[in-house]
Amino acid sequence: MDPALTRNGLENRGNTARLGALIAAFLGLAAAAHTVVAAAPEAKAAAQTVAKLSDADNTCLACHSFEGMEKKFASGEKLSLQVLGASFAQSVHASAGCAGCHADVDVAKHPGPAKKFKTAREHSLAFTGVCRNCHEDKFKLYEGSVHEKLLKSGVDAAPVCTDCHNPHSVKARAALASISGVSCRKCHEPIFDAYAASMHGTARGKLGHSAAPICADCHRAHDIGFAGASDRLKAACLGCHQGVADVHARWLPNAARHLDVIACAACHSPAAERKVDLRLVESGTQARVAEGDGNAELENRLAAADKDGKGIDAIELWNVLREINRDRGEGRTTLRGRLEVRTGVQAHQLADKSQALRTCETCHRQGADPFQNVSVSIIGVDGRPLRQEVQKEVLTSVLSVDSMGGFYAVGGTRIKLLDLLLVLSVLGGLAVPVGHQMLRWMVRRHLRLQAEAARAAAGAAAGGEASGGPSGPGASRAPGK
Amino acid sequence: MKKIYVHPLPVRVWHWVNAAGFVALIVTGLQIRYVGVFDFMPFRAAVQWHNWIGFVLIANFFVWLGFYLFTDKIRVYHPELNPMEHFRGSMRQLQYYGYGLFKGDPNPFHISAYRKFNPVQSMTYQVVMMILVPVQFFTGVVLWDTRMFSGVIEFFGGIRVVDTIHVLIFIFFVSYIIIHAYMGALGHTPSAHYKAMFTGWEEAEETGEARH
Ligand code: HEC
Ligand code: HEC
Ligand code: HEC
Ligand code: HEC
Ligand code: HEC
Ligand code: HEC
Ligand code: HEC
Repeated sequence: MDPALTRNGLENRGNTARLGALIAAFLGLAAAAHTVVAAAPEAKAAAQTVAKLSDADNTCLACHSFEGMEKKFASGEKLSLQVLGASFAQSVHASAGCAGCHADVDVAKHPGPAKKFKTAREHSLAFTGVCRNCHEDKFKLYEGSVHEKLLKSGVDAAPVCTDCHNPHSVKARAALASISGVSCRKCHEPIFDAYAASMHGTARGKLGHSAAPICADCHRAHDIGFAGASDRLKAACLGCHQGVADVHARWLPNAARHLDVIACAACHSPAAERKVDLRLVESGTQARVAEGDGNAELENRLAAADKDGKGIDAIELWNVLREINRDRGEGRTTLRGRLEVRTGVQAHQLADKSQALRTCETCHRQGADPFQNVSVSIIGVDGRPLRQEVQKEVLTSVLSVDSMGGFYAVGGTRIKLLDLLLVLSVLGGLAVPVGHQMLRWMVRRHLRLQAEAARAAAGAAAGGEASGGPSGPGASRAPGK
Repeated sequence: MKKIYVHPLPVRVWHWVNAAGFVALIVTGLQIRYVGVFDFMPFRAAVQWHNWIGFVLIANFFVWLGFYLFTDKIRVYHPELNPMEHFRGSMRQLQYYGYGLFKGDPNPFHISAYRKFNPVQSMTYQVVMMILVPVQFFTGVVLWDTRMFSGVIEFFGGIRVVDTIHVLIFIFFVSYIIIHAYMGALGHTPSAHYKAMFTGWEEAEETGEARH
């Protein structure tokens, strides 16, 4: 994902981020004037009570439904403290009431002294914990997800519950699953656009074809994994498109192998550029090798392998693999290649089947586009794929027989040295008849000269008998026989 | 000049099917491996032809094997059991090809129904028929369905290893077939061996019989 997008996502969340400011208030109380910008109570519309809500809730809303009521953080960010009663009443949490989540608010002392949050984000992260009280299961799923890991590793822009679910207007699941309600959009805009224009997106959006997948159908909503780290996404495709292997086998030789090694989007995203990712895997199980597993410092090693900064070359790759195998156990680690698309956006530009790639020559020729861009990857400590650039020549080097015995695309990654051998073989084959005939000519000439010399030596004496002259290839018919 | 029946019908059929198949496999194989360098047929067609012809040749191989296993003709492949004698025979034969032939010396080897291969041929054909061809068929079948044979492929170190063996033998066969065709023309007339391979009858020098 584009980092600019990440930041954008963070900024966008100004309107969703709020709270904490319960301490503050519009009553103009002295409480924490430095953090609170009180909205004049006489401003804007009068609070309307919402019939569906409890009195307690309406009490809160009496103040919190005012527009313009906001809290200011040390960072200068402002947080609106407005809660729309009507939409809260329609939300799934109406029955929980304000106190269901804001139990820490003591109405008598409200607003109390300001809690110190430097930024709206900090505030948000602190408050999202309330969801846990009732949705422990979702927390469990969320923990260990990409977003949670990113958050832990300091990427503040990664979403928590309240980024995807506005706490005061949480909609039922069905609404979350509509294209217009996609919570991912605000942070993954380019991917959303690609998806929305893809055949899945159009099927879902325009045609209202709800069987077509939306983000969470492929990635899941809470336990989202790193995209390139597992087979989960492919399993999602196969979950809906059962029998796909057979459909492809009708026209594609070795279909199963192709589907193993090529990302679906590499053929189904007609505009995509492709690349090769050489994955470090366990020889036996084919499981991806992760950093820290088998005490070889993989990431550092791979980074160090690239001595001149132009990408790891064939010898460097071969050497680093040998080192890794020395440390992790002989023959345990090997490389497995995979054809992917180059960007996350391209992965979502799926088109209908009439546009799918079916020309074998796209890949099965020397210089084909997938083989121009190569990386080697491991799984990082946090589960994220870590890639290191590799020179494309590794695919055609003779060392590849040893270092990537498991990856070969006919024509596209053929070993250059074998081409040379083939030329030598043809030349050698042709040299035999040519050489043999030349040898024959030389031997015969030699014999003839010898015979002539002998004849000359015999001198005036009666002419000797000539030995077998050159009489065509039927030479094996020896004279005198 | 005496005529000897050296190539029984099954062997002749096998031989020419094999020869045509080899050429076709080399041609389609070149197309498969060298898209862009050669473009005489589409890749997909080349792969399909290559697969089918491969299977025909495997069946054909068993015709050959069966014939030799179930007839006493198998003796043509191991007439000389003493390695020293075999070596000496080979040297004599090579010397003939490289020198004697030009001088008009008689071929040191004399054909008969049970001794149709000279020592060099016998050795080459055994390596080709008992090692290279079976390995080539084996690797070919494995590459034909990489999923079904994934276990075998892993065992040999991966698909690139298997493919490299297949290609190396292919490279050998390219020169082999050129040389084989040329040596076929080194009979007492250029077409003698070719004719024999169609009719089954080889012309042999009378004296040869004495050495039998
Ligand atoms: C489902 C739990 C939940 C319910 C019910 C709930 N809130 Fe909140 N509220 C939150 C969370 C979580 C935040 C913090 C959101 C953030 O900053 O990301 C919050 C924040 C706020 C804020 C601070 C401004 C803001 O938007 O962050 C106010 C004011 C507020 N809530 C008022 C109310 C009122 C009034 C009600 C009842 C009508 C209510 N809340 C009901 C969970 C809830
Ligand atoms: C990255 C966005 C995102 C984050 C973060 C997120 N959710 Fe969700 N959540 C969704 C989407 C999308 C759906 C509905 C789609 C689905 O499940 O198919 C959903 C559905 C739900 C549902 C209803 C689903 C069901 O199965 O009934 C609950 C409850 C929920 N989320 C709670 C939470 C809680 C609690 C957190 C914080 C741990 C959280 N969500 C974090 C996106 C998110
Ligand atoms: C006091 C308990 C409570 C708390 C705290 C709470 N929820 Fe809920 N939540 C509920 C209940 C009850 C439902 C309704 C479940 C249903 O209808 O099946 C619900 C439903 C949801 C749904 C929709 C489920 C669906 O099936 O459509 C989402 C999404 C959700 N909550 C998110 C959150 C988030 C995010 C937070 C934290 C900001 C939160 N909840 C905090 C009790 C709570
Ligand atoms: C609040 C912003 C935000 C929201 C909302 C959000 N994400 Fe993310 N997401 C991020 C950030 C930031 C990253 C890290 C990007 C990076 O490292 O390049 C990320 C990473 C990801 C990744 C991993 C990318 C990788 O490198 O493998 C996936 C998959 C993903 N998000 C899916 C989703 C889905 C699906 C949704 C909606 C259900 C969603 N996100 C909603 C901010 C968000
Ligand atoms: C049809 C299934 C599918 C749908 C729907 C889908 N994705 Fe993806 N997504 C994928 C696949 C496949 C990948 C690429 C995995 C890989 O790199 O191997 C991916 C990758 C990603 C990545 C990581 C991109 C990167 O740079 O590595 C993000 C972020 C992401 N998707 C977000 C989304 C969002 C947001 C949506 C909804 C707008 C969405 N996806 C919808 C299948 C899907
Ligand atoms: C939630 C189920 C679901 C998932 C997951 C899913 N698809 Fe689909 N897919 C559909 C549906 C439904 C359609 C038919 C859309 C339409 O009617 O146009 C479709 C259409 C397609 C088509 C076009 C077929 C045609 O006939 O033209 C392709 C190709 C495709 N999907 C590939 C994928 C790939 C690749 C993935 C995984 C990255 C995937 N799908 C994940 C449901 C799914
Ligand atoms: C080598 C390229 C290639 C790869 C890899 C590939 N596809 Fe396809 N796929 C095609 C082509 C070409 C068609 C159109 C076939 C046709 O029209 O009969 C197709 C057709 C389809 C269809 C429509 C099937 C139907 O019923 O007509 C679906 C769904 C599909 N692919 C899904 C996938 C999924 C999921 C993956 C990944 C697991 C995948 N494809 C991988 C090339 C590919």
